[in-house]
Amino acid sequence: MTATLPHVAATPEVTRSAPTIDAGRRRRLQRRRLASDLLVMAFWASGAAAAALYLASGGLADWTSAGGIVTGVGILAGLIGTDFVLVMLVLAARIPVLDAVVGHDRAMAVHRRLGKPALYLLLAHGALLLIGYALTAQLDLVAQFVQLWELPDMPLAFLAIGLFVAVVVTSLVAVRRKLPYEFWYGVHLLSYAAVLTALPHQLSVGGVLAEGTVQRVYWIGLYIVAIGSIVVFRVAEPIVSSLRHRMRVERVEWIAPDVASLHLTGRRLDLLGARGGQYFFWRFWSGRTWWHAHPISLSAEPTARRARITVRVLGEGTRRMTRVAPGTPVSFSGPFGLFTDAARTSPRLAIVAAGIGVTPVRALLESGDLAHGEATILLRGSTDDAVFLADELRELAGRRGARLFRSVGPRGATGGWLSAADRARGVTIRSIFPELAQSDLYICGPQAWTDAVVADARAAGVHEDRIHTERFDW
Amino acid sequence: MRTRAILGSALAAFSILAIGWEAGTSNGTLATTTTTDTGGTASGTTGTGSSSSSSSNTTDSGSTSGSDSSSSTTSTSGAADGTYSGSVESTRFGDVQVQVTISGGAITDVTALKLTDHDGRSVQISNRAAPILRQEVLASQSANVQMVGGATYTSEAYLSSLQSALDQAGF
Repeated sequence: MTATLPHVAATPEVTRSAPTIDAGRRRRLQRRRLASDLLVMAFWASGAAAAALYLASGGLADWTSAGGIVTGVGILAGLIGTDFVLVMLVLAARIPVLDAVVGHDRAMAVHRRLGKPALYLLLAHGALLLIGYALTAQLDLVAQFVQLWELPDMPLAFLAIGLFVAVVVTSLVAVRRKLPYEFWYGVHLLSYAAVLTALPHQLSVGGVLAEGTVQRVYWIGLYIVAIGSIVVFRVAEPIVSSLRHRMRVERVEWIAPDVASLHLTGRRLDLLGARGGQYFFWRFWSGRTWWHAHPISLSAEPTARRARITVRVLGEGTRRMTRVAPGTPVSFSGPFGLFTDAARTSPRLAIVAAGIGVTPVRALLESGDLAHGEATILLRGSTDDAVFLADELRELAGRRGARLFRSVGPRGATGGWLSAADRARGVTIRSIFPELAQSDLYICGPQAWTDAVVADARAAGVHEDRIHTERFDW
Repeated sequence: MRTRAILGSALAAFSILAIGWEAGTSNGTLATTTTTDTGGTASGTTGTGSSSSSSSNTTDSGSTSGSDSSSSTTSTSGAADGTYSGSVESTRFGDVQVQVTISGGAITDVTALKLTDHDGRSVQISNRAAPILRQEVLASQSANVQMVGGATYTSEAYLSSLQSALDQAGF
């Protein structure tokens, strides 16, 4: 099925059996859009509620002097900053409903964007309250600081702000790139400690959350939701389903010098509930790998007893993972991801995959319900060896009646996402996918490459709802 | 659909803030506070024409009494006239005790004998809350009044000490 890439935009063929947009797909899309809009509204509403409850409790009564105003602004900053932090916890909790609506990768993108604003608000909270109290009491800042320090639970609160600073600084893109993953991960775990050590002073010192107020009930409720979702979805649920399915590594099969398939066995794996193209967070219980989980797509549809993932060795963590002994127990959480046919909105399917990004594409092809001629696939690799699982894909494409193209060779100095040779021949996204306007475009590969494809697709007029990407770098 | 999210968010946020604002300004606490005191004594003036009461911020025991001549109060209860000291209520920020003056069957004055004083911040909070509480008590003629936002420890202790004083008076 692999053919030479068409380099002249083909006139859209008149298709007799073109699948129509079925009503179910449209309804699902509209429900998902509504749900994601409601989530955005809920986020802003929660921030507003933090401020509104403060106003409702008569907080403005203190805004009568300079000190009172500074203190009041400081309190508001603390309330909204804390709200952001709790939202970040919820976003990182891998809640299945959130994943189904916006996708876990997008939830995490929002999580990352909230980090700095939340920290700035919390730092402003500390600084403004110090200044406000000092103004009111006519003390210098040092004396006021000493007084604050002597209040119950305040040393813990200062510890918390220090931890927040550490967590955000190590997560800045420029800093994180220079740090080993292990170090970043260790520091990031401290955010739980930061949230918990910040809590006591809010309940004891903060008059705003004093006993018997509506605000106290509201905030304790928020904490329960945020910490509860972490405990349920990141701890309890993975333990329960891992115990249920009892997965173990059966063998490791090298399919390229740096790419290995891990064959797993377990019980009732067909009941994992995974759609083709979804991924799990895997944890391998060997001495060197147990401490952190990797997000990896299934590279084949699971059967009752077997599942398969395919990993490219990109760092120390993935290297260790490919060296685990057969029989190593595996725990997991998932499935996650919207890189499935459930997210489709259009009658036709266009798929672009690069490197190890072929794995979810393969599973998508395997499990999807595709009409003959519905799908077109482009595989991208810098060399022939870098197009992984090519044989399996060729066979699947044949069975599904999908067209399969390859664009192999270096990208060249001019950039772009196709090989330099293909670009020189005039191959474009439109010539590969003549029916792009009626297609869902699924893109999976390294981030920079994915961004280039997305930009090209947008320029070609593909609607945002039809572009589906999967990130592999979180 | 992005616009729907933006408009919806703006609408939700503004209405929630408006409700909060409305609730905060209509419950009276805004109107009653006119001064924020620093450090020392807080003087609250009342609407019933009684003389000023000084609420002390130190733990000196019950000498300060706000005796006064009340003018226009209606006698409705059978409580005996006099000055009654309430129980000492302990909080984590210090003890609170109040003294109530009954005259002509009505509460004519409330004086704080002790207020939370463990640190400068507590003193500030108490000195802000005491006049507000006093005024609300005089207005409602009971210990059944709203707590002052941001001064819950003081409010709770103040009102329960007051209640014990009113119980003694048979008010």
